Amino acid sequence: MAHDWQPDFEQLVDTHQSMVYSLAWRMTGDRGLAEEIAQDVFLELDKHLGRIESPDHACHWLRRVAMSRSADALRRRRVRGVDLWVEINENHGTPAEDRSSPLGTRLEGLLATLPEAQRAALVLRYQEDLTPEEIAATLESPLATVKSHLQRGLKLLRAKATAHLKEYVRETKHVGGV
Amino acid sequence: MLVEFEPMDDFEQELRQAFERRPAPPSLKRKIMARRSPSRPQSHAVWWQRLAASVVLAAMVGGGVLWRQAEGRRKGELAREQVLTALRITNHALNEMNARLAARGRAQE
Repeated sequence: MAHDWQPDFEQLVDTHQSMVYSLAWRMTGDRGLAEEIAQDVFLELDKHLGRIESPDHACHWLRRVAMSRSADALRRRRVRGVDLWVEINENHGTPAEDRSSPLGTRLEGLLATLPEAQRAALVLRYQEDLTPEEIAATLESPLATVKSHLQRGLKLLRAKATAHLKEYVRETKHVGGV
Repeated sequence: MLVEFEPMDDFEQELRQAFERRPAPPSLKRKIMARRSPSRPQSHAVWWQRLAASVVLAAMVGGGVLWRQAEGRRKGELAREQVLTALRITNHALNEMNARLAARGRAQE
């Protein structure tokens, strides 16, 4: 099928780098690894640029490949016995410019404790604002599986957040009181 | 519930805010472009090198075939010349022998 749109690689990097980086970071929990994954994803896009038909196609392609490469990286790390989520919890405490809010940071930390499939579904839902159908297409999973991961992930995250929120409120009251 | 597209509750709104996209490191684009740019001319260069090597190889093979054909023709011509020369010599010798026999016959008569 003929398409008039001509992809501009540099523009695609400008437009989508934060999306790809954020997906890789939230999935792996490792900034350095997320940056490497993002580089690899864009270099792969460069190779497939001729097959990209539209801006939406580029965005979908990048999401799919970013999630797939992140899963590969997690698998490789698991084989090597490295626990990435120890790193994300450490990293979350360090850079002040990345903190949207203390509660937001806590929620991100709690996301890190969820199983990979649930985390992937929730990241695509709440970071990328995708529908379950779009998430299923991105992850190449059955829709029912994605819905199940979303429901279970959200329930688990809500339960963990409730427990942590009480602790957070106690801490803020304590700090405020001092 | 979210999955069925009911309005998001406060918790989900908080999640959406917490999971906003993070800005990529400023070095990311530079690294991507740096890793990309050397590979492009290199890949073009590789293609040109491959093309040049193919042309040279084709020329060598073609030249070899033509040389063999020319060499074969030359050898054929040489052999033909040798055969003709041999035939001429033989013919000359036979003529000479014939003349001598004719002369001896005449002398005996």
